[in-house]
Amino acid sequence: MNVTRREFGKLALGGLSSAVGISSLGSRDASAATTATAGANRSLIEGVQFGLQPYCYHDLPMTRENRPLLIERLLANGMGMVELMSPWVEPNFRTPGVTPEQAREKLRQWRLNVAPDYYLAIKKEFDDVGITVFTYYVDFRTSLRDSSDAEVDALFRAGQTLGAKGCVGSMWLSAAQRLASFPGKHGMFLGLHNHANLSDPDALSSEESFIKALSYSPDFKAVLDVRHFVAANGDCLGFLERHHSRVASVHLGDRRRNNGRSTPFGEGDAPLIEILRMIRDNQWSIPAIIEFEHGTLRSGVEEVQLMFDYCKRALA
Amino acid sequence: MKRTNADSLRRLVLCCIGSLGLLATSGAGADPSTAGRSYNAEFLGPVLDDSLIQHGKETYVVAGCAYCHGVNLQPLGEAADLMRSPMVGADDNGNVIGPVVRAGFPQTLSLSPMPQYSDLSEQQIIAIARWIHYARQQGRYKELVAAPDRRGDAAAGRDYFARACSACHSTERDLARIGRTYDRQKLRAQILAPDALNRQTSFKVDRRGDAKSLGRQRHGALLENYSKEDVSNLVSYLQSAR
Ligand code: HEC
Ligand code: HEC
Repeated sequence: MNVTRREFGKLALGGLSSAVGISSLGSRDASAATTATAGANRSLIEGVQFGLQPYCYHDLPMTRENRPLLIERLLANGMGMVELMSPWVEPNFRTPGVTPEQAREKLRQWRLNVAPDYYLAIKKEFDDVGITVFTYYVDFRTSLRDSSDAEVDALFRAGQTLGAKGCVGSMWLSAAQRLASFPGKHGMFLGLHNHANLSDPDALSSEESFIKALSYSPDFKAVLDVRHFVAANGDCLGFLERHHSRVASVHLGDRRRNNGRSTPFGEGDAPLIEILRMIRDNQWSIPAIIEFEHGTLRSGVEEVQLMFDYCKRALA
Repeated sequence: MKRTNADSLRRLVLCCIGSLGLLATSGAGADPSTAGRSYNAEFLGPVLDDSLIQHGKETYVVAGCAYCHGVNLQPLGEAADLMRSPMVGADDNGNVIGPVVRAGFPQTLSLSPMPQYSDLSEQQIIAIARWIHYARQQGRYKELVAAPDRRGDAAAGRDYFARACSACHSTERDLARIGRTYDRQKLRAQILAPDALNRQTSFKVDRRGDAKSLGRQRHGALLENYSKEDVSNLVSYLQSAR
């Protein structure tokens, strides 16, 4: 299929109505699959496993109370895999009248004391509708600054009980160093998620910084956020070619180079189609976790569907 | 320009999507009690009466600013607080915000630096700045009008008045009896946002640049930069004009 990216974008845009057609098909699949047989297969497209980074539903606050709605939306989008983020799981202690320090302490105590059954029940919610929790995303940025080893262990145990293969966090080099010994203890990996900061020497953003961070532990894997990698002027295809055996997943989104902005799929500089075909043609087991930060007037469900449909076309 | 273009456009879009079945059949679909719930494009809040401002808001959202700075300027994560930023307070129609946004903040310790928006047009910058100022004025009005009514320093209020208000007002002329016209609470509200200026921007040729539009613009800028003390001081000073 010889379609240039520009034509492809037009195709995808012009095809809004047919895209929506596909999506309603997808959601019928989804409701049929509540028997849990489909699982991650629901979003296995031409050998590429898709999932969602559920920060995407910008119009749905991330709270554990909203988790049923999250699940409903994942099904609406035909997703069989998710990178679950901790706010969907943990209580929110940041309520009016509570200082950030008090909230932090309450969260810490909660993490240290919660029974495994709590996480098992959540795993069951996802199992019951056939959604695989691939990874557990934790905000190490706020957790690590003042956390004990016991709390970090508790986070990995939580991820493991949820059925995740690894924990994921936005990472910087000194934090990665501190975390090196943890994932192995729990039989998990730690996925290092990059951003686009090229000015802070401690940031994880370039290929060099990835190589350095990955060298700290064999249990570290790259969660290559192609959007930020492109904004940091990285070479996504080259990175995958060279490091695919250490890549846990890609976060799939579009952005412009030179610290440019996030864009709808096909309007930025990320070679999304090429990345997906590279994963497909090499039969790599690297899930593509769809994520977006760009602005839109569409609801999260509609926007995710447009992006997912774009990917399906890329692999058709 | 009553109910706005944006409004009818939104309705059109909603009804198209509805008829295409996304809204109706999405979700676990089978359960009618959840059908359609929260799948709407109204998450930005109700459509505003002034389409100019609504357009600004939508431009701000589409550019992605809301994702980090919040639709109503409640910042998420590490983003700067545009409700309090002195840079925004000093901006006039995008003259400060524009260059900052076009360049981004690549030199930073924040995890995810503010991106550059070198591709935004002049009009987009103006629209975005318009929304930021509108939202900031709404937010600060709410906060300042509700601030506890501490007795201010009338002398400091007089100095502030001489500096910032006397080009247009005088306690000898137009505001000579203002302390008798309003009680403290209403006076505070009138200083923050005078009723007489509370109209849509007019593009009538002979209204552009008239006293009211200048006053509206100036009062907006003042509102964005008052401290609580400034307001109490002004109230105490103008209370004495009877
Ligand atoms: C990815 C998140 C992100 C996005 C998107 C974003 N910003 Fe920012 N913005 C930031 C951060 C972080 C800072 C603080 C910069 C720093 O000091 O490193 C900032 C700073 C600013 C400032 C300077 C405020 C001050 O007082 O220093 C302005 C003005 C601003 N942003 C406006 C915008 C506008 C307008 C948009 C949309 C066109 C936008 N931003 C999009 C994250 C973002
Ligand atoms: C650029 C001119 C301008 C400046 C500067 C200005 N104002 Fe005004 N102000 C106006 C205009 C115009 C009105 C509306 C007058 C009208 O039509 O009733 C107004 C109305 C008011 C009113 C309501 C008067 C009433 O009778 O209800 C108050 C109070 C007021 N201004 C206070 C201030 C204060 C305090 C400052 C300085 C901190 C200030 N203004 C600065 C132009 C200005």
